[in-house]
Amino acid sequence: MTHRKTAALLSIIPGMGQFYNKQFVKGFAFLFLAVCYFIAFLDFLNIGLWGIVTLGTEVPRDHSIFLLVNGVISILVVGIGLAFYYFNLYDAYQNGKKRDNGLELSTLKEQYHNVVDKGFPYLMVGPGFLLLIFVVIFPIIFMLLLAFTNYNLYNSPPAKLVDWVGFKNFIEIFSLDIWRETFVSVFAWTIIWTFTATTLQVAVGIFLAVVLNQKEIKFKGVIRTLLILPWAVPAFVSILIFSGLFNDTFGAINQSILAPLGIDSLPWMTDPFYTKIALIFIQSWLGFPFVMAMTTGVLQSIPGELYEAATVDGASNWDKFRKITLPMILFTTAPILITQYTFNFNNFNVIYLFNNGGPAVADQNAGGTDILISWIYNLTMTSAQYSKAAAVTVLLSLIIVSLALWQFRKTKSFKDEGMI
Amino acid sequence: MKKLLALPLTFALAASALAACGPQEDSSSTGGKKETASDKPEKLVIWEDQEKGAGTEDAIKKFEEKHGIKVELKEIPMLDQQEKLRLDGPAKKGPDVITTPHDRVGPLAIEGLIAPIEISDDVTKLYTESSINALTYDGKLYGLPKSTETPVFIYNKKQMTEAPESLDDVLAFSKGDKGGAQYGFLANWTDFYFANGILSGYGSYVFKDDNGTLNPEDLGLANEGAVEGLDYITSWYKDGLFPKGIIGEKAGQTIDGLFQEGKVASVMNGPWSFQGYKDAGIDIGVAPMPKLPNGEYVKTFIGVKGYNVSAFSENQEWAAKLVEFITNEESAKTRFEKTAEIPPVVSLMEDPLIADNEAAKAVAVQSERGVPMPNIPEMAEVWAPAANALQLSATGKSEPKAALESAVKTIGQNIKANHSK
Amino acid sequence: MSIKTARRIRLTLSYLVLLSAIAIVVYPILWVIGSSFNPGNTLSSSTIIPENATLTHYKKLFAETDYLIWYWNTLKICFITMVLSVIFIGLTAYAFSRYKFIGRKNGLLLFLILQMIPQFVAILAIYILAYQVGLLDTHFALILVYVGGLIPMNTYLAKNYYDTIPKELDESARIDGAGHFRIFWQIILPLSKPILAVIALFSFISPFADFILASILISSDEKMTLAVGLFNMIKNEFGNSFTLFAAGSVLVAIPIGLLFLSLQRYFISGLTAGGTKG
Repeated sequence: MTHRKTAALLSIIPGMGQFYNKQFVKGFAFLFLAVCYFIAFLDFLNIGLWGIVTLGTEVPRDHSIFLLVNGVISILVVGIGLAFYYFNLYDAYQNGKKRDNGLELSTLKEQYHNVVDKGFPYLMVGPGFLLLIFVVIFPIIFMLLLAFTNYNLYNSPPAKLVDWVGFKNFIEIFSLDIWRETFVSVFAWTIIWTFTATTLQVAVGIFLAVVLNQKEIKFKGVIRTLLILPWAVPAFVSILIFSGLFNDTFGAINQSILAPLGIDSLPWMTDPFYTKIALIFIQSWLGFPFVMAMTTGVLQSIPGELYEAATVDGASNWDKFRKITLPMILFTTAPILITQYTFNFNNFNVIYLFNNGGPAVADQNAGGTDILISWIYNLTMTSAQYSKAAAVTVLLSLIIVSLALWQFRKTKSFKDEGMI
Repeated sequence: MKKLLALPLTFALAASALAACGPQEDSSSTGGKKETASDKPEKLVIWEDQEKGAGTEDAIKKFEEKHGIKVELKEIPMLDQQEKLRLDGPAKKGPDVITTPHDRVGPLAIEGLIAPIEISDDVTKLYTESSINALTYDGKLYGLPKSTETPVFIYNKKQMTEAPESLDDVLAFSKGDKGGAQYGFLANWTDFYFANGILSGYGSYVFKDDNGTLNPEDLGLANEGAVEGLDYITSWYKDGLFPKGIIGEKAGQTIDGLFQEGKVASVMNGPWSFQGYKDAGIDIGVAPMPKLPNGEYVKTFIGVKGYNVSAFSENQEWAAKLVEFITNEESAKTRFEKTAEIPPVVSLMEDPLIADNEAAKAVAVQSERGVPMPNIPEMAEVWAPAANALQLSATGKSEPKAALESAVKTIGQNIKANHSK
Repeated sequence: MSIKTARRIRLTLSYLVLLSAIAIVVYPILWVIGSSFNPGNTLSSSTIIPENATLTHYKKLFAETDYLIWYWNTLKICFITMVLSVIFIGLTAYAFSRYKFIGRKNGLLLFLILQMIPQFVAILAIYILAYQVGLLDTHFALILVYVGGLIPMNTYLAKNYYDTIPKELDESARIDGAGHFRIFWQIILPLSKPILAVIALFSFISPFADFILASILISSDEKMTLAVGLFNMIKNEFGNSFTLFAAGSVLVAIPIGLLFLSLQRYFISGLTAGGTKG
């Protein structure tokens, strides 16, 4: 038998292969870590894996949702354990291979340097990724699993256990009239909202940056600071203020701005059309400073010669903007702009805080300005339909993630990612 | 080679974990509740509604002295308490006693978040029958009432000399000089909570009451009375007596603001608003709601706030004792003096303290005329569609009948989708 | 039309545009400030220039609410979040910019996209996790969640910024025998101040705006944050403390505004290089 096979086989018990390769310190480290892992996690994994399969067997001892959470954590812990285990096997195999080929194994000191050298990026990325796994990945797995349970008001711990129900929630979403009927109109508005609101905030941001960046404009710093203000005020504060200002009868927009101009009060809060206009306006107000700040920098980095050459060729200002400035901005900031779109697609806060999705619209199950996310929230949370909420969120996520992925792939910025 | 090894190992690990696993089946640990019955706990935690702690402090102090148990009071907005209990309870961070509006009792009981309590008939007799019923779900009593409330007619004494007898009088007043105010009367009638009083007064109902059991399949929100009622509501908006600015989500706050500034002579609102109005320097008068044009009383929703014992409490019997203590006659009286919450305690209704108090009296009288808010979980499906119907009719986008029928259809569908057991 | 006239017209138009933009931006903010000095309780009762200006609401804020405690808690959370974020993001982005490792190519993109998934159902999971590890009702849990949420986007920005720093710099340092960490510390770090300033600012202000996570993870009154405290003032349908809320908000916005102002210099250059990829 070759060394590599023997070493790898021995490493079924972590560290043994390393001992066989006479790398005692490393072998001991592996063994020690493995023992620690089992001592620390065995009980937890035991309950966790049992829990995620059964979701509990006895009321009120077992709380299904807690068991589900523990189960997800267990899976993550097992995953990390397996990664470590795989590395242990891989290491034994590689060093065995070196011996087979008659190469010298690294000394302890060399090993140390090797770890520091090769491991350095992992060391730097590790803590952040670990945090991300628990803050981002873990909740998503939980939600995904929840979508396949029957967790709702009537199957709710501590009174009842939650059970796995397969694809029942997904089937019901598509088979219930009430969901289907409203879905189309809400979806349509969600798309319109995402595109108009985001595009407007981007357009305003770019436009103001370009105007402000002209050589002759004075007080640039002061103006820029004033224009960035909406960013400095927490968004929920601004949205709530707006909701007062837009009141049909008593709001300042109708009373102090439109009235002196001789315009009759507009039904900002009671007519869906005007509420939509107001919402798009508010989102632009909230979102443009970020785009403006970013664009300002891009403008400052465009080489002046480009414009000079264009002037020589007799290009007008508009031509210059269209042919040089705009492509430059869009090209360089595309990935960030995409995140702005996806952000608005899920922009629950502005819809909810401004008018709670209202005003009412006849014969539909959602308010006139409800977007998918706020609609789902109302539908499921008022009647404690958690698993259905999870199922719809899963579907929604599929849409967003695939759209975003597709767009990201299209931008050039991500294509040269492989190179250093 | 590597893969070949990894696969069986994964299975082995998974299999061993699943086979030998699960919690040790020692069901003794579940019996914790009963054991502690006689043991005095060191501390009980009670969640009181926001800004209402003052009313309960005295009672708590006496309870502490009497039993030697420390009681910790925390103020948490009442409507947030259920959500928090759902999370904090299993995490063992929850309270022993929570404050709940009675319409949440059904859902909370189904979820198993609150526990039924054993209270002798001698004690339950202290409270009005309707308030005890409101806290009963599926034949079990889930708490004791702390206060009862219902919207009443509140007027600015400077602008309105006395409470009108009927809403027709209010209408005339609103069309007339309005006592110098900008509006004669405002009410948040696109919120179903307030509008139901009118609709019910004309003969509608939410769920049919079959001898004390509500039937969620029989909806009465689009019957003749309801349509008539909504017609009446809509007329206030149509005539411009109610401005558009009080339609929708934020109407309540807007009306409050206008009344506090003296721009409205009278409003329909609940007892929770009295203090704020007084603080704003308004000399308020309070009366039961004026009669409807058809001669009936406005049948407002009655809300009963109660104290319930958390199902997660390890000392449920002591928690129940605490509930009993802080809702007894003496504590209720103190509470009324401190926070003006009107207790549904029979003996206190005749007590001069309440009988001679105009506001309390008005609430008590109006409570007798109202209907309890349904406490079955299906009620959750009613609020939004009903509010939509009110709003659509008020803005003239739908006819009252069509709006209500559509609402009932939606409510029915939602109940079927979300509450079929 | 002479070039001069054309230029004058263009400039006049530009100033007009900027002025109207400023007016639109500032108007609602002036309302917040104005209503905080109004004696009434609601926005509708307020005027933009208060008739009887009063400091009642500010006094009430300090006398009747735990505003100072919230403020202190929030500042603490913001500061630690900021420090941790800058460290985590700075290091992670450095690795992404300069090293080869498994997951480099798609790791970041993956997290950026995963973050787009709506999380309102998932908050339950975070709550239970925090309970399991004994971090419920601690600021530390909140900070960890904030930092985690800040990593993907900001790492992306920082990585792009690092990419603009010539690699020859680290290479020559390496030839001189400098270790990984020293290169980062002595060469990259000083050169990346602008983007770090941007990240610091972003991470500092994000806890100010969150009223959802904080209200769920924190249960003790004495640990409450500003956003939750302020939001509670107005979310109650029957609550009527809009002007109090406005006063509280003004006091929040002032330090953030000043921070923006003082960091503006870094801000634009950092954000640009970070957000772009030429």
